[in-house]
Amino acid sequence: MNDDFVTAGVNLQFHYAAGAAASRFLCALRDEQKIFGARCPECRRVLAPARSFCPRCFVETNEWLEVGPGGTLSAFVAPPFAQLLEPALTLALIRLDGADTAFVHRLGEFDAPMLRRGLRVAPVFAASRQGHILDLAYFKPVEFDNAHSI
Amino acid sequence: MTELLKISHTMHLEWRYGVGASFHEFIAALRARAQILGRRCPGCQRVYLPPRPVCGNCYVELRDWVEVRDTGTVRAFTIVHTPIIDPTTGARRPSPYTMALIQLDGADTTLNHYLEASDPTKLRIGMRVRAVWRAQRMGLLGDISHFTELTDE
Amino acid sequence: MRRAAIIGTGQTKHAKAHDDMNQAELVRQAATRALSDAGITFREVDAVVLANMELFEGRALPEMWVGAGAGGYLKPAIKIATGGTSGTSAAIAGYHQCASGLFDIVLVVGWEKHSEGATQTGMAMVDPLWDRNVASGAVGNFALSISQYVAERGVTPAQAAKVAVKARRNAAKNPYAHLQIPDLTVEQVLRSPMLADPVHRLDMCPQSDGACALVYAAQGVAEKLCAQPAWVRAAVTRHDQPYIGDLDRRLVTMRTLRDAARAAYHQVGIVEPRKQIDVAEIYEPVSYAELAWYEALGFCAEGKAGELIDEGVTEMNGELPVNPSGGVLSSNPVGASGVLRVAEAAMQVMGRAGAHQIADARVALATGYGVYAWSDVMILSADT
Repeated sequence: MNDDFVTAGVNLQFHYAAGAAASRFLCALRDEQKIFGARCPECRRVLAPARSFCPRCFVETNEWLEVGPGGTLSAFVAPPFAQLLEPALTLALIRLDGADTAFVHRLGEFDAPMLRRGLRVAPVFAASRQGHILDLAYFKPVEFDNAHSI
Repeated sequence: MTELLKISHTMHLEWRYGVGASFHEFIAALRARAQILGRRCPGCQRVYLPPRPVCGNCYVELRDWVEVRDTGTVRAFTIVHTPIIDPTTGARRPSPYTMALIQLDGADTTLNHYLEASDPTKLRIGMRVRAVWRAQRMGLLGDISHFTELTDE
Repeated sequence: MRRAAIIGTGQTKHAKAHDDMNQAELVRQAATRALSDAGITFREVDAVVLANMELFEGRALPEMWVGAGAGGYLKPAIKIATGGTSGTSAAIAGYHQCASGLFDIVLVVGWEKHSEGATQTGMAMVDPLWDRNVASGAVGNFALSISQYVAERGVTPAQAAKVAVKARRNAAKNPYAHLQIPDLTVEQVLRSPMLADPVHRLDMCPQSDGACALVYAAQGVAEKLCAQPAWVRAAVTRHDQPYIGDLDRRLVTMRTLRDAARAAYHQVGIVEPRKQIDVAEIYEPVSYAELAWYEALGFCAEGKAGELIDEGVTEMNGELPVNPSGGVLSSNPVGASGVLRVAEAAMQVMGRAGAHQIADARVALATGYGVYAWSDVMILSADT
């Protein structure tokens, strides 16, 4: 502290409850390496990741279904600050096969010039998984995949 | 029954909090002269400690500095037994300890600070107390370590 | 201003932890229950007001649950945080939005999940120039003011403990309450660990996970949707200076609550609160506060709060029942706690309070309280 400023710091611990629906989604990533979506009974959209209710129609989803694993890149960005991270972070919006919403995740194993909207991508799962969104480590570009023929 | 997951994380927050003109003066006097300064409201004539730019009751600007003594009277106190994480250190504060609202001589508001008494059963509202200063003053509120009973009045 | 009324309420079970629902799902459960109670769907809602204390959960932008939890998709919505009064601030903001003529139907949701965060440390992260150096949490802060109140008014620990007993006994009739202890005794309260003299653990509110919602409708709409709406007759807010040292004798004087109550009573024409109010649901984070609020609200003369609890006046079967829900002492999800007071008052007036219903309740008072002596007062009535 000097006469003009007080500086201070504190560490706060938080434990965010995923809730029943997100827990089921994360356990499937961990135990089956499967990505689940949930269908809204009103607008019929398949929301991925799966969740307990549709925020547009405000009704509970009643049908769980596997989506992906392949998908299509609909947007990507490599924020400058994120390039200082190890590994560097490239964020992506991915339309998983069978889903009607974009899945927010990160890209890996790519050469920057090859990134374009419409690129086919596939998930790479972490070797050690603990019920966390990063049990799915990242999506990587694929030329051909089994889920979708180009 | 689905296994219910929790996502745990630690948030580290840092601040750089501007003290403002009133507090700047206060800190400088505290460090240089072990002097406690309050500010008088030209409207209601109340002397505010800690000093601030505006009287909340009258909503007029405070300009006049008033020296306040480092002795005062206990207006409220409690012995805290519950564990508290000290937000300035992040560590658990040793308990029990005594907190008090102390009206310093010359001030109209009370100051929230620590109180130490030789005998906790002697604690009472109205008891006279004095500030115990640290040998080295940094320009912090903690330059007053705590208040203790005043015996030589 | 036109009249507006509460036509539906809903809440979650209040509990130590809700691991089965995430924050958005908790908000949604209260919202859907209130909409169902009002007999409408979220499509009829014109605007949404959300209340929460964001530092307590460590989730940036909790206002996002407006759209992803409270049904605010493509609707006007705001989030309000004013400390302990967050819930009553939101309830009053929702009332203003409706009574002003801006919106016909407004949904208000308050929520908190204390189980997920660092509430005590969050509470201590007050002004860094002064308060943070000596922060002692909500309990230490209250205990300081209580020492003055006890010294001046002479209330005893046993009288305060009676308030704590009453709250948990009433809570046993409320299926949503967190602490339900029907056979709690004064001795048990006094034997519970001392937190900060003279406040024992059972004198203090718990930390809860929970949410509560209200549906407002404007005059002309409310009567069509609801057989017995709870009409808002007064909604008053008062703030004080925030530094604890300036709030010397705050529980004794409690000028914000005193002033808000006086203004609200004047609007409604209440001159004898104890006779003219049928039930009160007040924000009492600690047993001693309820006694102090009795005086500030004019339920008794100054210094007579101890007698009021001794004589059973504020029990369920007394002349002026206070906190039939079990109050904050039984459930305290902070962002929801103020909404809960208003919801209970509305349920009483609407005759929907179930096992904790006070017979023939037509005029109900609800209050909100924030740590820095901020106060809200609402009066609801069966009559417009």
